[in-house]
Amino acid sequence: MHRKFWIGALALAFLIALGWGWNEYRVAGEYRLLAENNNRRAINDFASHLDQLETDMAKGNVANNPAQKILYLSQVSSNSDAALKDFAQIPAQQTGLSYVGQFLTQSGDFARTLAQRIAGGGTISAEEEKTLRDMHERLMPVNQKVQELIVRMDTEQLVWTDPDPTIRERLGLGTQVAEAAADGSEAPSKSVRSGLDQLDASLQKLPPFSYSGEYATRVVAKPLGLPKGNVTRDQSLERARNFLNKVGYSNANPEFGGESQGELGGYIWKFKEAYLEVSRQGGVITLYRDQRGMEPRTLSIEEASVKAKGVLKSLGWQLVITSSEEFGSYVQFDAVVEKDGVRIYPDKVRLMIALDNGQLIGLDSVPYYAFHHSRTFPAKISMDQAVRKLRSGFQVLESRLAVIVKAGNREVYCYEFRGRYQGEEYLVYLNAATGAEEKIQRIIKTPQGEYLK
Amino acid sequence: MKVHARPWATVIAIGLLLSIALSGFAYAALGDRLLGRGSKGPEVTELQKRLVQLGYVLGPVDGKFGSKTEAAIRRFQKEHGLRVDGLAGTQTIKELKRLTGQSTNASGKAVGYKNIDKNLLARAVNAEARGEPYIGQVAVAAVILNRIADPAFPKTVADIVYQPRAFSSVDDGQINLPPSASSIRAAQEAINGSDPSGGAVFFFNPAKTSNKYIWSRPQIKQIGNHMFTK
Repeated sequence: MHRKFWIGALALAFLIALGWGWNEYRVAGEYRLLAENNNRRAINDFASHLDQLETDMAKGNVANNPAQKILYLSQVSSNSDAALKDFAQIPAQQTGLSYVGQFLTQSGDFARTLAQRIAGGGTISAEEEKTLRDMHERLMPVNQKVQELIVRMDTEQLVWTDPDPTIRERLGLGTQVAEAAADGSEAPSKSVRSGLDQLDASLQKLPPFSYSGEYATRVVAKPLGLPKGNVTRDQSLERARNFLNKVGYSNANPEFGGESQGELGGYIWKFKEAYLEVSRQGGVITLYRDQRGMEPRTLSIEEASVKAKGVLKSLGWQLVITSSEEFGSYVQFDAVVEKDGVRIYPDKVRLMIALDNGQLIGLDSVPYYAFHHSRTFPAKISMDQAVRKLRSGFQVLESRLAVIVKAGNREVYCYEFRGRYQGEEYLVYLNAATGAEEKIQRIIKTPQGEYLK
Repeated sequence: MKVHARPWATVIAIGLLLSIALSGFAYAALGDRLLGRGSKGPEVTELQKRLVQLGYVLGPVDGKFGSKTEAAIRRFQKEHGLRVDGLAGTQTIKELKRLTGQSTNASGKAVGYKNIDKNLLARAVNAEARGEPYIGQVAVAAVILNRIADPAFPKTVADIVYQPRAFSSVDDGQINLPPSASSIRAAQEAINGSDPSGGAVFFFNPAKTSNKYIWSRPQIKQIGNHMFTK
C-alpha cells in the first residue's frame, strides 16, 4: 500500500516537473526567437540603410541643381544616422571605438554641413567635392562586405558573436579568430560580429577625412587659456592650500589623491569631503567640489548671487553671472567673461554656492581654461541693421553682442536677442558680420530655473 | 403633501452625501494638512509618488506614512536645505510640488517634464556608480554624453546605454532600478555641461576588470573606484 502511494506520488511529481520544464523551455525559446528576430531586423535594416546611403551619395555627387543636391545630401545624412542606429544594436562581445560608426557619423555630418551651406546660398569647393567622392569610394566596399555577410549568415549558419574559447583554445592549442580579426587579416570570420570587426579594422587603416563639421575630429584642441609653465606636486599643494584658505578652510592639510592626465591634467587633492584638481600647466584650480553635509537654508538665491560675486572677486576672476540653477541646498551659477560689452560665452566658470552659509562648494573652470584667449572682433553690422533681420512679430526684450560656440567648437561673433514670439521666449543669435541666423535657443522654465534647449 | 416631501428629502440627502464626498476630496489634497508617521490616505500616496519621482527610494507606494517614508522625507529635507524633522509640512510639500512640476514655456503653458534623457541617464548612473563619490557619478553621466559627441558612438542616450555589452548594468538588469536622488542630480549636472571625467568615453573598475582593450585606452584619471579613459 505504502509502496504504491510513493510510486504514484513520485510519478505525479515527475510529471509536474516535466510539464514545468517543458513550459520554461517553450518560454525561453520564445524569448530567444524574439531576440533573434530583433537582431535580424537590426542587421537587415543596417544593410538596407547602407545600400540607400551608397546610392544617395552617388546621386549627391552627380546632382548639379541646388535643390536636387540638397535633397540627396539630406538623404545621405538621414540614412547614415539610421544606419548608425541599427549598427549599434547588432550583438557584440564588447563595445569599443567603432570605425564603422565613425565613418557613418562623419559622412552624415559632412553631407549635412554641405546641404546647409547650399541651402544658405553657398557653394561647394572642388576639394569638398573630392572628399564627398572619396567617402563614396570608401563606402562601396563597406556596403559590399555587409551584404556578403548577410549572404553568409544564410549559407554558412554564422552565429552572432564568437563563442567563448574552448578549454583547448584557452590552453593555447587552438587558433584565435578574434586576434585575426583585430589584425584585420582576412581569416574567414565565424560570426557576424567578427565579420564586422574585420570591416572595422580595415577602415581603421585608412587615413581620416579632413573636413570641417560637428564630428570632424575627436581630438580635443590644446587648452588656450592655461597660464604658461608647469608646477611641481609640492607647488600644486601650496596652490590647493591657498585656494582652500580662500573658501573658508584655513590651515587645511590636503591629502594627495593621484594625478590626472590629458591636456588639462594635473594633481588631485582631497580635504575632508572636498575634491580638488590643480592643473600641471599653470597650476590653476580647474575643479573643486565640496560634498560636506548641509544645514538648513538661510540665503535666498539673490543673496547667494551676491556671495558668488564676492567669491569670484576673492579668487581673482572678473566675470559676469549669466544664469543660475537651484539644486535645493545650493545654487549653481555660470559666469562668463565680458569684454568691451561682448559676452564671451565659451570662457565660462561655473560655481556652486551653499545656501546655508554662502560658502563656495563647487567650481569648474575647465571651459574657461580650455577656451580663453584674446580675441579680435571683425567689423559688424549695426544693431538696427541686425534687428531688421529678425522675423516680423519677434518682440525683442534684451539685446547684446556675444561670442557663442557652435557645433565642432567653432566660435561665432553674434548679436544676441532675447525675445518673444507667439507666447514662446527664444534667444536668437545673428552673425554680427553678416546678419545670418546662427543659432536659436528656446527658453524653458523648469523647476530648477531657466533652461535653454 | 407627504408624497411631495419625499423628493425634497432625497435631494437634501444627496446634497449632504455629495458635500461630504467633496470635502473628502478636498481633504485628500496634498498640502492641506501636516503629514507624519501614521498618516494614511491618498495624499500620502501622492507624497510618496513625488518622492520617488525625485529619487527618494522608499519601498512600496502604499499610502501609509511609515518609517521608510519618514527617512525619505528626512533625506529630502537635508538635501534641500529645509529643517529636518521628518514631517511633511507646508514648506516641505511646497518644495516637493515645485520640483516635481512640469516645465513651462514663456507664457506658462506646460510643455512636459523635459527630462526624458535625464531619467535614463540617472538610471545608468545609479546602476553603474552607486556608492561612488558624487563627482564620480557626474563623471559617469558625462562619459555617456561624451560618447554622443564622439563620432565613433551612437547619437542618443538610449542608443548608447543599450548598445550591446556597453554597460554591465544593462546585462544584469540593474539599469531598471529606480534612480537615487544623487544620481538624478548627477545626471542633471552632466546635462548642464559639467564633465569631471576630463573628456573620457570609457570608465572601468581597475580592481575588477581584466579586459585588455579597456586597459589599453589612455587613462585620464581615477575618481573613487572608477578609472576614466579616452
